[in-house]
Amino acid sequence: MQKLPYVVVTNKHFNEVYDLYYTAFDTFRKVREVKNLDDNDRLCATIRTMLNAHLTVIPKLAMGILECNGLKDAAELDKFMNTILRSRISRRVIAEQHLALTETFHAPWFSPGAKLSESDFIGEVFLRCVAKDVVSRCGDAVTSIARRAYGPDIALPEIKIVGHLEANFPYILSHLEYIIGELLRNSVQAVVEKHQKSKNKSAQPPPIEVTICESNQHVIIRISDQGGGIPRESMPYLWSFSKGPASKEILANLGQVPKMAATMQELQIDDINPESNKKIETLHQKYGHQSVQSLSAEEKEREDRAKYSSLASLSSRPPNLRLGMGLPLSRVYAEYWAGSLALHSLEGYGVDAFLQISKLGNKNEQLTTRATMDAV
Amino acid sequence: MGPTARLIRLSTPSRIVPGLVKGRYLARRASSTSQNPNKEAPVAHHHRPPSHHHHHVTYSETDDAVPWLAKQPLHRLSLADLVNAEALLSSARFTLSLLPIRLAHRIQALRNLPYIVVSNPNIRKIYNNYQHSLSTLLPWQGRTISNLEDEIRFTEVLAELVQTHTDTIPILARGFLECRKYISPGEVTRFLDQHLRARIGTRLVAEQHIALHYSSSPHFDPPSSPTPCPETPGYIGVIDTALRPASTVDSCGSFVADICELNYGVRPEWFINGSPETTFAFVPTHLEYIITELLKNAFRATVENGQSKSPVEITIAPEPPSSVTTPITLSPPSVSLGAFNKDHIQPLDDNAPGVTIRIRDRGGGIGPEVLPHIWSYSFTTFSENEDDPPGAWSDDALSVISAASSGGSSIAGLGYGLPLSRAYAEYFGGGIKVQSLHGWGTDVYLRLKGVGRIE
Repeated sequence: MQKLPYVVVTNKHFNEVYDLYYTAFDTFRKVREVKNLDDNDRLCATIRTMLNAHLTVIPKLAMGILECNGLKDAAELDKFMNTILRSRISRRVIAEQHLALTETFHAPWFSPGAKLSESDFIGEVFLRCVAKDVVSRCGDAVTSIARRAYGPDIALPEIKIVGHLEANFPYILSHLEYIIGELLRNSVQAVVEKHQKSKNKSAQPPPIEVTICESNQHVIIRISDQGGGIPRESMPYLWSFSKGPASKEILANLGQVPKMAATMQELQIDDINPESNKKIETLHQKYGHQSVQSLSAEEKEREDRAKYSSLASLSSRPPNLRLGMGLPLSRVYAEYWAGSLALHSLEGYGVDAFLQISKLGNKNEQLTTRATMDAV
Repeated sequence: MGPTARLIRLSTPSRIVPGLVKGRYLARRASSTSQNPNKEAPVAHHHRPPSHHHHHVTYSETDDAVPWLAKQPLHRLSLADLVNAEALLSSARFTLSLLPIRLAHRIQALRNLPYIVVSNPNIRKIYNNYQHSLSTLLPWQGRTISNLEDEIRFTEVLAELVQTHTDTIPILARGFLECRKYISPGEVTRFLDQHLRARIGTRLVAEQHIALHYSSSPHFDPPSSPTPCPETPGYIGVIDTALRPASTVDSCGSFVADICELNYGVRPEWFINGSPETTFAFVPTHLEYIITELLKNAFRATVENGQSKSPVEITIAPEPPSSVTTPITLSPPSVSLGAFNKDHIQPLDDNAPGVTIRIRDRGGGIGPEVLPHIWSYSFTTFSENEDDPPGAWSDDALSVISAASSGGSSIAGLGYGLPLSRAYAEYFGGGIKVQSLHGWGTDVYLRLKGVGRIE
């Protein structure tokens, strides 16, 4: 960040982010080398505090970008944003993974050397994300949020899932849920709004079709809606964090998010946790866990961790709070794990989104690129 | 001018043994002397690059004209030029002003290919075709076409031009195939992309005038037109202002399905959703070519994947008229056209209502090994067999090429379908995107910009 032009970094939001990182660096470099479990606990406490403090980094950066619209070339701002987000992902993943592993280690039901295959989680990584389940879970979450936002009498589109329904792959569940949640949210909103403008409002709007396709190296999820497509004016800004003419409105929306993230620390996230709790419970039951007792302990830890996830606060926002970051941020997450996110719009008809996930995990990632990313 | 020896000067410096070359070209030149009594001295032939040797060589008038003409800027074709040219004479004059320059640019591009490539008889043939066409047009250059008699003769020249160059693509393909050892696939793709795109425009301009000629009142005789020009009132020359893509899909679909039935014994099905009643203004022959190629791919994949029961889904989505008045920059064409990148036609205006057509099949998708190559002209697959004598391997390729060019019933991919379709789509400001779901199927998004509102 120090290399950005002075005027950009003096922007209030960028400045706050810069201070956060500076403090973090300062704190971490003073931590002693970890030699025993107590040291580890102290380290984890520090990490946890840092993660909390940095929850609001994403919206702040986004606001900074929008406010700096004229100051620096949009393409360069995007490049900066993409780089910083990628390195942020890697830092947070490492941090959160360590916290998760530590907590699992300390958990009463865990003994070192026990088979991990039963829990299907290694820290944050869910070994068997079944695409169909993730999609239907996200679909339900998005639908219920939409239902709450639009009221009980608006017809919502059905989400149909076809294709290779048994496809599964290892992934970090929160990332996957964020990406699919964003895509489904966009689709649902587009379909509802188009349907409201059409003549027969009472009829069922056209369904959103999700196709899951599995091949040797990839799993591809195609989300196809009939929501009227992306208007031509928005096309140039689709993947960019700078939004051109719509900047003002989005800036106002973004202003509401940090408050959300801050308050989430104190109160329970009612919106998403009960559902994800229930679903995780059913998931665990499906994979044959031994007792409900051990579940609640582990489950509670996930719940605690979910509070610290900045993605959770973003996912539970009301649908009309358009932040303009869903697509570029999702793409950063998708590409981080050697995947890709592409969008094709049939203007006037609908949009097809293609999320490609690499099944081979770290074997597909180019080690050199990761090294440069992490070096930032 | 008699058939004296002439040396055709190539712009790449090369050690030419004058005697040898003279002898070889003597025979060719003798046969192609133009017999045009109306020849005038070429304009500005004093313009000669200083590095030429003067001693025992003279220049044909075409050679003179090419460097000078090629220095002229290309007129940026706009569709307004095509459709508003009502008066036949002004259309003739306009066409005449464009064509020599366009031909010269093509000749220049060919001249920049490696010597050994242009020595290949097939490439040479195309090169000569262009030279010949330019030589038939040059005599017209100083004159204005001001009466119908002139216009008739000019149209005949145009018709001959269109006819001569009909088979350019298969012949070039054959030539490049034979030369695969001497030129890299990347260079071939670059040259072909540029050349074929320019060719689209040149033929369009020529065919447009011919069609206008035959449908205009003094010569109303559409059946005699060598190029298609239906008499329906919606047509302006080769442009149909009320083209219904769903009809094109159905007719191309049944044509391709017939071929499938012939080759595989199965007849794939398709259905059209979206807004099938959509119409827009476009060149029907272009749309037919693109749709045929895309459906060929979709149908073949569907049948070969054992999914012939799954119909191909075609969605037609008309673009809603844009309410924004600020001009939107269109994304540049997918290939860099280098110095000639102003060659594609500017759309009439950004509000020209277009159409997006999505073709979705269950053909199993395109594998990751093949995906990077779908846009190149299919020479890469043959270059592995360098040890084979050109005769053996290329017989297969050539038979495919010649079957395709004669409209034969081969359905096997020549490798030209996708890149050429994309060239046609992009020529008017549209494009093609391909999205593969390997293991399931493929989605192809064809975006076409319309000709726009015509006053």
